[in-house]
Amino acid sequence: MPEWVMAIIKILIVLAFIGLNGMFLIWAERKVAGFIQARIGPARVGRPQGFFQLFADAIKMFSKEDVRPAAADKWVWWFAPVVFFTPVAMAFLVLPFGPNVIGLDMNIGLIYLAAVASFALLGVFMAGWGSNNKYSLLGAMRAGAQMISYEIPLILATIGVIMITGTLSTQGIVEYQVAHGWNIKTQFLAFVVFFIAMLAELNRTPFDLVIAESELTSGFFTEYSGIRWGMFMFAEYTNIFVMSALAVTLFFGGWASPFGLVGSVLIFLIKTYAIVFLIIWIRWSVPRVRIDQLMTLGWKFLLPLSLFNIVFTGLILLI
Amino acid sequence: MLGGVLGNVYNATKSLIKGHLVTLKELRTPKITVHYPDERLELPLGSRGMPALKVNQDTGLLNCTACGVCARECPVDAIEVEAVVGEKGRKKRYPAIYNLDMTHCMQCNLCVEACPFDALEMSDAFEISRYDLDDLIFDKEQLAEIWKTHKAVRITGGEKL
Amino acid sequence: MSEIEARRLKAEEVGHEKLILNLGPQHPSTHGVLRVITTLEGERITEAEPDIGFLHRNFEKIVEGWTWSQVIPLTDRNDYLANINNEHAYVLAVEKLAGIEVPERAEYIRVIMSELNRIASHLLTFGTFAMDMGAFTPFLYGFRERELLYDIFEKVTGARMMHNYVRLSGVRNDLPDGWDKEVLEFLDRLENDVIPDYYDLLIKNPIFEARSLGVGVLTKEDAIAYGAAGPILRGSGIDWDLRRDMPYSIYDRFDFEVITREEGDHYARFMVRMDEMIESAKIIRQAFEQMPEGPVMGKVPRVLKPEGDIYSAVEGPRGEIGVYLVGDGNFKPYRVKWRAPSFSNLSILPLMAKGQFVADIVLTIGTLDPIFGEVDR
Ligand code: SF4
Ligand code: SF4
Repeated sequence: MPEWVMAIIKILIVLAFIGLNGMFLIWAERKVAGFIQARIGPARVGRPQGFFQLFADAIKMFSKEDVRPAAADKWVWWFAPVVFFTPVAMAFLVLPFGPNVIGLDMNIGLIYLAAVASFALLGVFMAGWGSNNKYSLLGAMRAGAQMISYEIPLILATIGVIMITGTLSTQGIVEYQVAHGWNIKTQFLAFVVFFIAMLAELNRTPFDLVIAESELTSGFFTEYSGIRWGMFMFAEYTNIFVMSALAVTLFFGGWASPFGLVGSVLIFLIKTYAIVFLIIWIRWSVPRVRIDQLMTLGWKFLLPLSLFNIVFTGLILLI
Repeated sequence: MLGGVLGNVYNATKSLIKGHLVTLKELRTPKITVHYPDERLELPLGSRGMPALKVNQDTGLLNCTACGVCARECPVDAIEVEAVVGEKGRKKRYPAIYNLDMTHCMQCNLCVEACPFDALEMSDAFEISRYDLDDLIFDKEQLAEIWKTHKAVRITGGEKL
Repeated sequence: MSEIEARRLKAEEVGHEKLILNLGPQHPSTHGVLRVITTLEGERITEAEPDIGFLHRNFEKIVEGWTWSQVIPLTDRNDYLANINNEHAYVLAVEKLAGIEVPERAEYIRVIMSELNRIASHLLTFGTFAMDMGAFTPFLYGFRERELLYDIFEKVTGARMMHNYVRLSGVRNDLPDGWDKEVLEFLDRLENDVIPDYYDLLIKNPIFEARSLGVGVLTKEDAIAYGAAGPILRGSGIDWDLRRDMPYSIYDRFDFEVITREEGDHYARFMVRMDEMIESAKIIRQAFEQMPEGPVMGKVPRVLKPEGDIYSAVEGPRGEIGVYLVGDGNFKPYRVKWRAPSFSNLSILPLMAKGQFVADIVLTIGTLDPIFGEVDR
């Protein structure tokens, strides 16, 4: 097979996975939220558990009118969901699902991820600015402050792992853990920092100031509807998956398992969805912080902690 | 100072975990959702839906004598009564027209309490949505029908349920 | 000059550094239909101006055309979360004006229902405050308990919200058998299971504490100057509760504490409400113990034509619900003036909002807890 056919097949697989995973996560979130809140969540379409609700929702999203505010900056507004969505899809390139199940085993995998992830902010900001809506603008400003200040501890937290494993390649990190056990043993502190920063990166409660529905109605995507809104939604949920997968890869042994190829992929997915569940669970249990508290936490707490972790890891490596 | 910070972190973590345990516990508790059209809650006796005209079990006629007290007592003028006068063959006066406008009615129970002839009762019929506003004006046959098909009670002046 | 134009000019006046943001009237956090015109500097509010009146129903004028007893169902709709308290306020005023006697048992039933309604209202406030803070789950927990309480209400009054239960000279009907057990069970569950859960889930949460401790402080002087009422007054350290200080009905027979807190911040106001639920439960328990048998409806004169004027007030969940009545010897009231606690509480908002973050004004509205049925009337 020529290489470009393979590439197209891979892209199609990733897109299909994004679609299915996004729908599943939206359903799972609603279901978990329902159960936590003494309700049962979606239950009408596709009884008993309302699984087909998502297909109904998807159809609804596709068929809804795409309303553009008259005062919006047309092209910026139009491109924002695309810019937000693309880096999320690109991140799949280096996620190791199994021993050989990876888009491309780059030797700069983690740097690639960090570079791609920082793109998402551009989409958020375009959406907020382009909508010409004050709520959106406030949301975008918050997003700017929040995502930049939390990307730093997020990346610093991974440095400990890189120091231990001695590689930037995601596949290499997993292989190291196959040989030496999970990184979480020595990198617990890094994981805590990583997890908190990840929640902030993902704009999830308690750090969902960017969306903050009780303050900013819907933050940066207030003005979006129909499929454009759907793209934000999908990108967001896919992002949750990507980040959780990254956490699994870095700290929880990735696909490492004794059950062969299929078993590895399954183990990887189970671990990832466990982290996703944790994120959902946290979302429905805590209130939201305020912008100044968010900044304080990021700069005065997480950043020193992640730096300390680097020193600590260095000491471990010395001994 | 470091000790204080660590203590704070410890306390915060502890209470966060406690909070999460509450939500985790709730995952398993029975849900209170009722799938309304399929499942229904039992309405308690005396639940106020809409007023209905009582039908005398023996004669099958309405108890109402078209005295108009209820119409006067209604704060929002939802009731319209007109009596039949001078008709032969019947001892009692009865209403020629008895219309209840459910677009106005606020189900307050005042008309039921005011009726001196035990002719009006509060039924628990609450599913009265219609596609047309005009359909919400109930005439006397419909009101009697509602009385027959629903639980209805008359509670006045400090009685016990 | 149209309103929009005026605002535009005003915007030009304040310069380009500031942003005028309309919160509401359609906004997830305004508890109904409040519009707050805020002037922002970054995330800080320099000026907030509440704009009310979207729910105006002309209550005070309408009831001038109704007879004394027909007014009762409409009082329910003022503070629609404290229906019995509203009815009680109005009925007390008419009874005082016309000199109507109320049987003992009816008084007890009124107190029980009022206190239950206070609990229901505070449960909702607990929930909405949590939601303003971004925690959706406590909101639904609060709602769940309140719904269960409304089931209990429905067994007595026949309705879940608009009870129309209190009557001149008594209450509409006696309590059904076994109802007291149900209430006591509910109270036990509330005190032993539900409120501790609320503490674990929300109140002891470090984020909750960070968001509410020391934020939105209302000083004692300001609270008095603006005529604050209810939990907002008591949260600022002023020991004032009509139930104890100007006892109406039979409140002087119960032993309960008036909860006050000195701090005057969000947390204080919130905790006053939480603790008041427990005190209400205490009152209900005592009332059930003391309640005599007997009729629940006294004699109402056939022609009710009171003359004179009267002001009478009760302590509702949001503060002093005052009713001023003028009768001119007719079937109908000559004038009904409703003193709504939410209205005076809301008037503090501009003062408190100054200098706050956008996120905090939402919480401020949450703890002031205005109900727009009552503000706009
Ligand atoms: S229930 Fe109340 S509003 Fe309805 S008709 Fe009777 S008196 Fe009028
Ligand atoms: S329902 Fe009762 S009050 Fe009304 S007209 Fe008939 S008899 Fe009179």
